[in-house]
Amino acid sequence: MFDALFELLFKYRPLVFDQGDFVFASPWSYLLLVAVLGAGAAVTLATYAQARGKSTPLDRGVLSALRVAALTVVVFCLFRPVLVLSSIVPQQNFLGVLIDDSRSMEIADRDDEPRRAFVDASFGTEESALRAALADRFALRFFRFSSATERLTDLGELGYAGLRTDLGQALDRARDELTGVPLSGLVVISDGADNSESVLTESLRGLGADGVPVYTVGLGREAFDRDIQLSRVETPPSVLQGTSMVVDVVIGQVGYAGDAITLQIEDEGRIVSTEAVTLPANGEAATARVRFTATEPGPRIFRFSVPPKVGEMVTQNNVRDVLVVVEDRREKILYFEGEPRFEVKFIRRAVADDENLQVVVLQRTADNKYLRLDVDDADDLLGGFPKTREELFQYRGLILGSVEANYFTPDQLRMIADFVNQRGGGFLMLGGRSAFAEGGYAGTPIADILPVVMDEPTLVDGEPVFIELMVSPTRAGETHAAMQVADTEEESGERWKNLPAVSSLNPISEIKPGATTLLTGTGAGGSDERIVLAFQRYGAGKTLAMPIQDSWMWQMHADIEPDDLTHELFWRRLLRWLVDGVPDQVVASVRRDRVEPDEPVELLTEVVDGAYLEMNNSRVNAEVTSPSGGFVEVELDWTTERDGEYEGLLTPSEEGLYEIRVEATSDDELVGSDMAYVFAAASDDEFFDSAMRAPLLRRIADETGGQFYTVDTVASLPEDIAYAGAGVTVVEELELWDMPALLFLLLALVGGEWGYRRLRGLA
Amino acid sequence: MKTRGIRRTVAAVAVLAGVTTLATAAGAGLGDDDAQRRRGRRREPPVSLDAPNTPYDGKFTFVRLQYGMEMDLGGFGGFRGRGLPPWAHDYPRAERNFMKILDEITGLTPFLGPTGGNILRLGDPELFKYPLAYMSEPGFWTMSDEELLTLRHYVEKGGFLIFDDFRGGHWYNFEEQMLRLLPEGRLVELEVSNPIFHSFFEIETLDFVQFYGRGGRPTFHGVYEDNDPTKRLLLIANYNNDIGEYWEYSDTGFTPIELSNEAYKLGVNYIIYSMTH
Repeated sequence: MFDALFELLFKYRPLVFDQGDFVFASPWSYLLLVAVLGAGAAVTLATYAQARGKSTPLDRGVLSALRVAALTVVVFCLFRPVLVLSSIVPQQNFLGVLIDDSRSMEIADRDDEPRRAFVDASFGTEESALRAALADRFALRFFRFSSATERLTDLGELGYAGLRTDLGQALDRARDELTGVPLSGLVVISDGADNSESVLTESLRGLGADGVPVYTVGLGREAFDRDIQLSRVETPPSVLQGTSMVVDVVIGQVGYAGDAITLQIEDEGRIVSTEAVTLPANGEAATARVRFTATEPGPRIFRFSVPPKVGEMVTQNNVRDVLVVVEDRREKILYFEGEPRFEVKFIRRAVADDENLQVVVLQRTADNKYLRLDVDDADDLLGGFPKTREELFQYRGLILGSVEANYFTPDQLRMIADFVNQRGGGFLMLGGRSAFAEGGYAGTPIADILPVVMDEPTLVDGEPVFIELMVSPTRAGETHAAMQVADTEEESGERWKNLPAVSSLNPISEIKPGATTLLTGTGAGGSDERIVLAFQRYGAGKTLAMPIQDSWMWQMHADIEPDDLTHELFWRRLLRWLVDGVPDQVVASVRRDRVEPDEPVELLTEVVDGAYLEMNNSRVNAEVTSPSGGFVEVELDWTTERDGEYEGLLTPSEEGLYEIRVEATSDDELVGSDMAYVFAAASDDEFFDSAMRAPLLRRIADETGGQFYTVDTVASLPEDIAYAGAGVTVVEELELWDMPALLFLLLALVGGEWGYRRLRGLA
Repeated sequence: MKTRGIRRTVAAVAVLAGVTTLATAAGAGLGDDDAQRRRGRRREPPVSLDAPNTPYDGKFTFVRLQYGMEMDLGGFGGFRGRGLPPWAHDYPRAERNFMKILDEITGLTPFLGPTGGNILRLGDPELFKYPLAYMSEPGFWTMSDEELLTLRHYVEKGGFLIFDDFRGGHWYNFEEQMLRLLPEGRLVELEVSNPIFHSFFEIETLDFVQFYGRGGRPTFHGVYEDNDPTKRLLLIANYNNDIGEYWEYSDTGFTPIELSNEAYKLGVNYIIYSMTH
């Protein structure tokens, strides 16, 4: 609006004034200009000075001023004011036009027309207004872009089927293509809904350095009127089979405040959970916590969805698919118990039916006498607790019961700390008369890794102090997946409150910074608040402290029904969590587990030896099986940036699931192997966060010296580029004497003088 | 961790030494009556069954099950019974001695009070705080429906029962009560290869020679969870045997020391097994 009014008055738009330099093009000198103006003013003043009649001095002053002003305007025009600026030489410059070819261009959020309608209307034919205006001035080079960018010879090739928008690579590619030609700039026609992982900064810096301005044309609306979107679903990349997952789903919405919706989760077509959600105030997101069990092994696609509502502008963003690898394997946990006690029996019973957990028990029954249970080999742990890292690190979790610190050699204590820090294992210390401070652990490497602060041991007559504790979850515990002992969070919270008391000999009431308390306990009458379960991440692994000695009370107590599964659920979930995410010697992954066909994806593998030290001299091969059964091998090379990290590139060409088996060898000996998966398929990613992103488009323009346009302002684009100064240009003078504003000013001054005379009766 | 006890290769010889040492130590701490008893088996004064139980404190506490107190058998058991009801036979010296042995040779820290442990009625909810319980003379075992339910829950939840000191025709009552307790449970005779005979001591034979020479060949019976031999034993019954008797008199010289050794070895193994299976 402002620009249009400005152009009406001043003949050119503000951008032209910004680009140009103001000069008088008259061959006469400025002195002559001043002299003529001075002479004219002198004659005017002299004339009015001699005038008599009814006029007062004020009248004569006003009239003189008006006359001199009018005279000034005339003289100003006579001296040919012009704007001098560079303008492109027609047809001597190239202009890259980048058109968004992604699926979000199909969104009809403006006058019920899809965003691509602008492209059809403005560029569809050679006669289309915008295209013609640009073609008059520039040699046009069209590109289409989504996740990749390619030259476009015929705009009919636009299919708007791209599954990703990657502005950074589009700008890089177009700049590369047009290197060496006089380039006036790049025009990006897009909604700006970039959903790639690339960083724009480098691309923009390069364009700025090359002096290539980017003009962005934003399509679509910056905000929808009515829409529901599954903004975020966070699931772990892999879980153990049978794991009960608790997943937070963030539901964004506008226009449906207070509405009730049902969130549904399917495991490849089978509904595994539903959750009713009431949407909050407009613009606010709701977070739904859903729980379901991963029962089927292998790579599984879990679908999260809410049914479309009436009037939704985009419905494709109501569904999200996530790939979760459900591992069917036995996680090996070593439980070393220093004294015979019932905790061993009941923990073993709790996980006995869990086929994915193997709790190997090393029970010290007397000095230097051990009972070994569920070992793989008759020789395993024959000499007691592992004495080498290789022996200990074969386990993924370690539970220490009531065993005094001086049982261990200093190297074994260090080894346990390394088990967590370096190997990435899960470590749990249970309470007991020889655990924590009472077991002499203060000041040992194990004290460093534990999430709790140990004070001096509290002993009365040489014995630890016994206390019974009623346990309840903290807020973090109530929502933690491992603490769920009933079907819903509310029921779980209630169950915790009604569990019988357990006892402790280890008074611990403080956690370390960065640690989290999940369960607390209070003594009789609410006294003596103690930590019952706390955890922290430590190095590559995690540590848990559970300073109670008889969690079996949650199974045996008289108040517990025989068919109550609280104790079993608690221990299964706790131990699954303990070993969740614990790495093996070879860990394979993909940079993105979902790509579109023909989109390259990076394969990454980390390789360590038996002591979990990074190996840079491995031979790492990936055997890739395509959905149709095809087989290719990809060799992975050490990245040199990180020890033990290898990288390769895979380009899935078929739609479907690719299975990648990565094997690492060293000196012809197998170090280990791992599986990774990538799903190549069309996705609806383009419909998430798909409102026009004006700030991003504006930033691209600003940082490169271009300008941002909307559909309403884009008409001036050809002229703006013409005067932007990039490419082959000539100096051009734009006449200003005929600006309507000057005419209006002159008429106003002359009319003002006449009116004043009439008003004052001076005729 | 105690530093006393046995070496890694535990043999009956070592136990023998332990028992002998313990017996001496125990004898040294006894009163005149006990000292007299040590010199030979004779009728002993009635034992008080009214000693208060020790409250649960996290330590292992031996529990003797009390049943059928309403049954007045007068001088039941002749000189052996000492006027005690059958469930109390060998109390408290059996458990007191046994706990000392446990304390000496294992890593356990049991309750070592003068009563040797607690006495709990079958229906007592406190029973659930002690996942191992011992019953003497199950040939005389009776229980109400309420007690039956409590005991069944106890076993189902993970409790372990030791039946001892019964022989001959006592089996019929034991079997009948077992049928009430675990209608689906199947009593099976245990082989020496069963893990319960190897949980601490390596028991190589079950040819246990009965000191009294009556009641037939001692055998060991159990019921597996879900009748599945790969699962845990819910209980063990020492039929035609009386290991509690050997515990009781192990410090008197009245019973052969080899038999006392075997009785302790069985008892220790039962305890360790119940804590790990």
